[in-house]
Amino acid sequence: MNDKKEKWTIALAGLAIGVLAVTLVAFGNPANMGFCIACFVRDIAGALGLHRAAAVQYIRPEIIGLVLGSMILALVRREWAPKGGSAPMTRFVLGFFVMIGCLMFLGCPFRMILRLAGGDGNALFGLAGFVLGIVCGVFFLNRGYTLRRTYRLPVTEGAALPAIMAALLVLLVAAPSFVFFSTEGPGARHAPLLLSLAAGLIVGALAQRTRLCMVGGIRDFVLFRETKLLLGFGAILAAAFAANLVTGSFHPGFAGQPVAHTDGLWNALGMLLAGFGCVLLGGCPLRQLVLAGEGNADSAVTVLGLLVGAAFAHNFGLASSADGPTAAGRIAVVIGLAVVTAIACLNTFRKEAAQ
Amino acid sequence: MICIATFYSHFGAIRFRQDCRNRGVPARAMPVPRDLSSSCGTCVRFEGGCPAAVPEEVEQIVEVTDGGYRPLYRARG
Repeated sequence: MNDKKEKWTIALAGLAIGVLAVTLVAFGNPANMGFCIACFVRDIAGALGLHRAAAVQYIRPEIIGLVLGSMILALVRREWAPKGGSAPMTRFVLGFFVMIGCLMFLGCPFRMILRLAGGDGNALFGLAGFVLGIVCGVFFLNRGYTLRRTYRLPVTEGAALPAIMAALLVLLVAAPSFVFFSTEGPGARHAPLLLSLAAGLIVGALAQRTRLCMVGGIRDFVLFRETKLLLGFGAILAAAFAANLVTGSFHPGFAGQPVAHTDGLWNALGMLLAGFGCVLLGGCPLRQLVLAGEGNADSAVTVLGLLVGAAFAHNFGLASSADGPTAAGRIAVVIGLAVVTAIACLNTFRKEAAQ
Repeated sequence: MICIATFYSHFGAIRFRQDCRNRGVPARAMPVPRDLSSSCGTCVRFEGGCPAAVPEEVEQIVEVTDGGYRPLYRARG
């Protein structure tokens, strides 16, 4: 695939993903939340009883679809490869704090784009923090940061997370009494199961094919002035914006935005933490799901970190609400920034050799 | 002969690029081409053939040809 064709593929995939995201909202997902990896993983944590915030409990088929869509295309293209062993516990901790940052902002980088496309001005503060977080991560990358290499692993290691996703699908369809499903709030608002699953499968496959990554786009631009992945970022924004205009879902402003708060500083700091952590992980939460689908056990562990982070966020009142961030959430983000910085420093070495 | 090396980490790529430059070999870091890998890391495009001693951080080295890529080296494991 030559450079021009690759750019077109990424742009078209981004456009399709933007339209799909708004379509999911039109069919029942919360506003500006056609996709949100952080919110949806948080909902899954709630559905499994890992937290008891009654308004955000649902096994989101989009997450299942993203992992399985990526896995299916990777298998078809013979790119599925079980691998891992690159600092899994560090990745777990980074995943944990990326989730804390996302739930301070109320959305992952993917939802940040969708919020911008819906006219939510608060996401501009998130974007500013996100870019700054990526720049912080790149600072360490250029000075030798590494979590060491991955190794080939047994098939079971790579297949474990997709198998868990398949089990979650069974639980969603069977809906046994021990699974929690919100009856009101964002968790109760969802598109039909088959539509959500299909959208997840399509986006998972497209993201696997194009390597779409909200962090990667900005990181590659900062590192190499390379705009390919950034093009996907822009295409999602443009398509979702246009689709929101068509469906009458574009409401510009700051106050009263859906599942959002107006504290600019903490919106920025939350996404700074998320952006910084994601660069150290090598990709945004969406990318972690896609890599896990390709058989990457390290990314699967990162997804578990996101899941546990979400459970902690709601069990200990760290997640923001429409009323704004909580005191505990602010403390958690500051701790997160300290921990992520420490991880960056501890894994950056041999500066002189890299220069 | 133009080659591309992919790595297990960004750091490995930056160090390899510097090694090339120290040996007088033109080299630049860039994102990994999609046809080479589904990973989104950093690769190094450099002139000359496969080095006699391939560093541990290198995952694969290919030669860029008119028809695509010709494998020269792939790490085990």
